[in-house]
Amino acid sequence: MIRLNNIVVKFGDFTALHEINVHVKEGEFFTFLGPSGCGKTTTLRTLTGFIEPVSGTVEVKGKDITHVPIEDRNIGIVFQSYALFPTMTVYDNIAFGLKVQKEKKAEIDRKVREIAKKVDLSDEQLAKAVSQLSGGQQQRVAIARALVTGPAIICMDEPLSNLDAKLRVQLRNELKKMQKDFGITTIYVTHDQEEALTLSDRIAVFNKGVVEQIGTPNEVYNHSATEFVCNFIGDINRLSPQVVAELNRVGGSVDPDAHNYIRLERLHVNTEAKPGCAVLEGRVDSREYYGLYIKYYITVDGQSIKVIEKNDGVNIYEAGQTVRIVVDPRDVMAYPAQQA
Amino acid sequence: MKARSNPLSPKYLVKVFGFAFFAYLFLGFMLMPCLNTLMSVFNTTNAAGERDPWAVIRFFFAGNMSSFVWNSLKLAVCLVITVNVVGVSIVLLTEYFDIKGARILRLGYMTTLIYSGVALVTGYLFLYDSNGIITTLLTDAFPGMNPSWFSGFNAVLFTMTFACTSNHALFLRNAIRGIDYNTVEAARNMGAKPFKVLWKVVFPTLVPTMFSLTVMTFITGLCAMSAPTLLGYDSINPEIVRLAGSSSADEAFPQARAALLSIILAMFTIVLLTILSSYERKGHYLSVSKTKAKLQKQKITNPAANVLAHIYAYVLFVIYMIPVVMIVIFSFQTYGAIRMKKLDLSQWTLINFFGSEDYQYLTNRGTYKTRKGSISGLFANEATLGGIRISFIMSAIAAALACVIVVAACSYIFKNRNKKSGVALEYALLFPWLLPTILICYSYRTYFNSEDVWYVGYNNLYYAENVRLLIILAYTVVKLPFSLRMIKAAFYAIDEELEDAARNMGASGAFTFFKVKLPIILPSVLAVFALNFNALFTEYDMSATFASSYGTSYAMVIQSMCAEEGLYGYNVNASGRRCASTVFIMIVSGIILYLVYGVGARDLGERLELKDKRRKRLERLKARFSRQPVKEEVS
Repeated sequence: MIRLNNIVVKFGDFTALHEINVHVKEGEFFTFLGPSGCGKTTTLRTLTGFIEPVSGTVEVKGKDITHVPIEDRNIGIVFQSYALFPTMTVYDNIAFGLKVQKEKKAEIDRKVREIAKKVDLSDEQLAKAVSQLSGGQQQRVAIARALVTGPAIICMDEPLSNLDAKLRVQLRNELKKMQKDFGITTIYVTHDQEEALTLSDRIAVFNKGVVEQIGTPNEVYNHSATEFVCNFIGDINRLSPQVVAELNRVGGSVDPDAHNYIRLERLHVNTEAKPGCAVLEGRVDSREYYGLYIKYYITVDGQSIKVIEKNDGVNIYEAGQTVRIVVDPRDVMAYPAQQA
Repeated sequence: MKARSNPLSPKYLVKVFGFAFFAYLFLGFMLMPCLNTLMSVFNTTNAAGERDPWAVIRFFFAGNMSSFVWNSLKLAVCLVITVNVVGVSIVLLTEYFDIKGARILRLGYMTTLIYSGVALVTGYLFLYDSNGIITTLLTDAFPGMNPSWFSGFNAVLFTMTFACTSNHALFLRNAIRGIDYNTVEAARNMGAKPFKVLWKVVFPTLVPTMFSLTVMTFITGLCAMSAPTLLGYDSINPEIVRLAGSSSADEAFPQARAALLSIILAMFTIVLLTILSSYERKGHYLSVSKTKAKLQKQKITNPAANVLAHIYAYVLFVIYMIPVVMIVIFSFQTYGAIRMKKLDLSQWTLINFFGSEDYQYLTNRGTYKTRKGSISGLFANEATLGGIRISFIMSAIAAALACVIVVAACSYIFKNRNKKSGVALEYALLFPWLLPTILICYSYRTYFNSEDVWYVGYNNLYYAENVRLLIILAYTVVKLPFSLRMIKAAFYAIDEELEDAARNMGASGAFTFFKVKLPIILPSVLAVFALNFNALFTEYDMSATFASSYGTSYAMVIQSMCAEEGLYGYNVNASGRRCASTVFIMIVSGIILYLVYGVGARDLGERLELKDKRRKRLERLKARFSRQPVKEEVS
């Protein structure tokens, strides 16, 4: 559906994107994930036509659109700020694209009301000014406006970043539902890993203008291709040489020269060790209470190791208490030292 | 592959036309006339008729010319002190300290916003000059008092001190309201006494605003025109106007001297504005608070200080309010009551506003003579009406022109803000800001007073009715920098994603401009138009510099009313009409400020809500007055 081939973007002497290659399938919810300044928005703007690449091509449905003007690309956008026109009513905002296309009045009205119904906007809300709507309603207007012209692709640039935590979760679910209902190919830009993991079919993780990994949420999380990805997605422990030696002592094959990591939830406290698993003695330093789970900081051989345990009221450990941590060497993710 | 610009495409033509227009505007109406003034300083001949470029410079140091500069500097320095003292006081008294009746006080202190320039000076004259109401009252009470106390430097300083606090009332008030109250609480919490908090925490945050206000006040003092002219003080501007109208038959090279004085004024202005902008560029205090707490009024705990502060606040209030109240009252009094300077409750009239009456007076021969229509209202007096008409038309055209030019320029500047052409255009439009208005007007008056200027078709623009076009041009050029600063800010406030969104949906550049950007900036543009109009409608300095009977502005008419009152039985109620004029100006300014800051500040949401409320109210009214009572419907 979408192919970004060897895209290079420069701003003066600064190279913002180095040879970006991304392939998005039809109907897919595809996320560009990465920290600020990593190039995810630049990639999106290259796809939508606001930025022209120095080299490389943008293809949609097999057609090269690298030099096609923005307005002829048939790609809808939901902006970070929603970019709703403050001087127009909700209705006029949604109708804007159709008016530009010089559609008939009756046709515009039909399409606006149809899309408004789909995104749950009432007739009364259509007559309001955008400033009279809540954050969630504004987001729905932005989505309706992007969809009403029937684009082949919809791009969303951090559309949830302006909202409070509770609304973010609520709208995240609505977004996913809408995307499923409309079945439209969606490119989603975010720096929020949790958002990326819950929403996406596939994720491209960006770092300093380079794509580090493309994969499903499971692949990206559990089989991070690079040390950056494994550090950026979720919380993780880097294992000290002593711990690695202990793992190898019980039969693990962990490379002591590599940088070795293990996810917090892969460590278990005071449980029965399965065959091939190592048991580390440690002392609880402190704990952080999260409600659903508790994060423990445990000192093992002078290294602080983080572990999370379900808050089931059974496994509660106090600071100073001696515990055993069970580690399966197969859960270790290793990266060559020179990569770092 | 980007297509090269087609020389015949509309976009390219607009660009070429735009470039030509702005070059014409800048070179023809900013640079050339002012350069001509600069050159004319050195274009002098001595008594022997020989060319002597340095004659006027020698004259400056030998004669009394420098005294005008010293007088202006003295006024500017004293004004900086008095205006800051009064300006800071009124803001602290209404915004920072807990003074009873602060709302009423604020209204009083803000009267100068709707009442300034010639109207204000004539208002003060009405009260304080040798036969003014207050002076009459005072001399009755203290017979030894000098009735002419209100003239010269003291009068100018007194009047301008209260006239020039408008900017303090607007900008310093905003600055003090922007203070994070948590910082005050933190200082108090750490043991600072109220005065220490004021001095160490509050004042430092106000310094940038105070600095700008100080520079602007200094320039205002230096360039003062209406107050020195009307109150008799020999400062630079009135002298420039006098010299511009003088001839070399009466005195030595008056034109070159006028030019030199205006260049001196320009030099001072340029130096001061350079200091100001370099100070502003340094950047300074920025509130780092993400959750600002609203400033709470500070109680003055010391009872004696509290009483003194209240007395001071209300004395200032009285000084601000007396002219306004007296003028409003006396605008409805007959000429007899005004002449006696005594309020007469049986003498109410509307004659100062509407209609005319005959005037009967006793001649030296003991016979009665009647002058037909010698008592006439503001809207019936030919001269006044003419002034209003001409000021209205010239101000409206110039205010609109300035807005249109600046909107077009801003659209280009915003798109090309990182290019040299964008920056050059911005500086070109800011150029008049560096020059005193009087220099621009004087330059126009002298440069275009010939048939040699090719780019205006060899027409003498200072001749007869042409002068109106010249005044409109001067008004427009003078208002460009202010309009640019305001409208540019509006452009920069537009979320750039809006333009991206419109383009993404297929809108062309022009369509995006007219349908998306213009509606967003329109309230700001209309506000700038209204403020420009408001300032120009009552301006005196510029039209007085042109001093043409074809371009007699409203303020000039008001000024002339001071002199003509009751002369030979003509214009008997000139004082009354002057009061009525001031009331009229206050109403016009009040409406404009209400439209700008009240109506214009509402966004679409607020407008729709109001519309909805009005509709509901109308429905309720309809239900109440419908033929079938609501009760019956229910039953």
